[in-house]
Amino acid sequence: MYVWIWRRLPGGLPGKLAGSLVLLAGVLALLFFLVFPWAETALPFNDVTVDKPASTSSPSPSSTTP
Amino acid sequence: MTSTVATPNAAASTAPGEWWRMLARGFGQLLITAGVVILLFVAYELWFTGYYTQQQQSTLNNQIEQQWKASSAPDVSQVAPDKVKLGSGVAVLYIPRFGKHYHFVIVEGVGFTDLQKGPGHYPGTALPGQIGNFYVAGHRTTYLHPFNKIAELRQGDKIVLETKSMWFTYTIEDIPHSNIPWKEIVSPNDVAAAVYAVPDQSDPSKQPTQRLLTFSSCHPEYSARERYIIHALMTNALPKSSGRYPTALSAPVGH
Repeated sequence: MYVWIWRRLPGGLPGKLAGSLVLLAGVLALLFFLVFPWAETALPFNDVTVDKPASTSSPSPSSTTP
Repeated sequence: MTSTVATPNAAASTAPGEWWRMLARGFGQLLITAGVVILLFVAYELWFTGYYTQQQQSTLNNQIEQQWKASSAPDVSQVAPDKVKLGSGVAVLYIPRFGKHYHFVIVEGVGFTDLQKGPGHYPGTALPGQIGNFYVAGHRTTYLHPFNKIAELRQGDKIVLETKSMWFTYTIEDIPHSNIPWKEIVSPNDVAAAVYAVPDQSDPSKQPTQRLLTFSSCHPEYSARERYIIHALMTNALPKSSGRYPTALSAPVGH
C-alpha cells in the first residue's frame, strides 16, 4: 500500500519526500480534527457523572426538587 | 511510518505465486497502521484534548470577569439554580490540596460539550453558597483533567469557590445527619443524580437543609467503570468587600 503510494508520488526523491509529508499531515489532521472527536463520543471512558445525562443539554436531576 | 516500506523493489513481479505475498504484506501494513492510529488516539485523548480545554478556560475566565464587572448582575448565590445559562461560567474553583496555581472555571452543564470546557455544574442543583448541593462533575484523565488528583483529597481539605462578590469555603466531611461518608466509590448505575441534589435527605423529594458540595469523576483512573465521589460542607462565607482572602488560600490568587 505504502509502496504503491510512494511509486506514484512525482518529483524525484525530494518531491516524493515532500509529497509524503503533505499526505501524512493531511491524514493526521483528518484523524485529530474529525475522526478522534467523533470516536470519543462513542466511547464510554469520558463519563464522569452518576446519572448518564440524556443529551448535551439540560439533564434535570432536580425534577424531584421544586 | 512510510520510510520502512520505501524500498522501490521489483515493480513488475506479478507472477501468480507472488500474489499471496503482496496480499499478506498489504494486510500486515494495514495492521501496523491500525496500531499506530490507536496509539495516536490515546495521545489525542491524554494530551491533545487539554489544549482545547485550556483555550475554553481562558475564554471562560475572561467572560466571568467581564460578567462580574457588570455591576447590575446579582451574585450567583442569589440566582435561582435553573436560571444559569448552559455553558456559561458559574464560579471559579480553587483546591489548595492541588497546589497554589490550581483554578478552574466551573461551567454550567454536564453534557459532553460542557465538560470539554472544564468541570461542570449539574443544572438544577444548588449554586455556590446556597442550601442544597452544589454538584460538580469533572474529567479525570482527559480535557485538562481537572479532577485528576481527586483521590488525593482528604477529610478536612478545603475547597474554595469564588463568585462575583463572595468567597465560599467548603470542608470535606461526612455529611452530617446522614450515613453518607466524605468519600464514596459507586457504580454509576447505582446512584441516581437526583440523590445528589439532596444528599442530606434519605427521601430526595424532601427539602435540603444543608449547604453541600459534591464532586464526581471517573474511577478507576483511565476507566469509567465506577465513580469517585467527594462530599463537602460549607464552613465559611466571606464577602469580597472585606478585602480579605479565605484562610484556606494561603496567598492571594491571581487568575
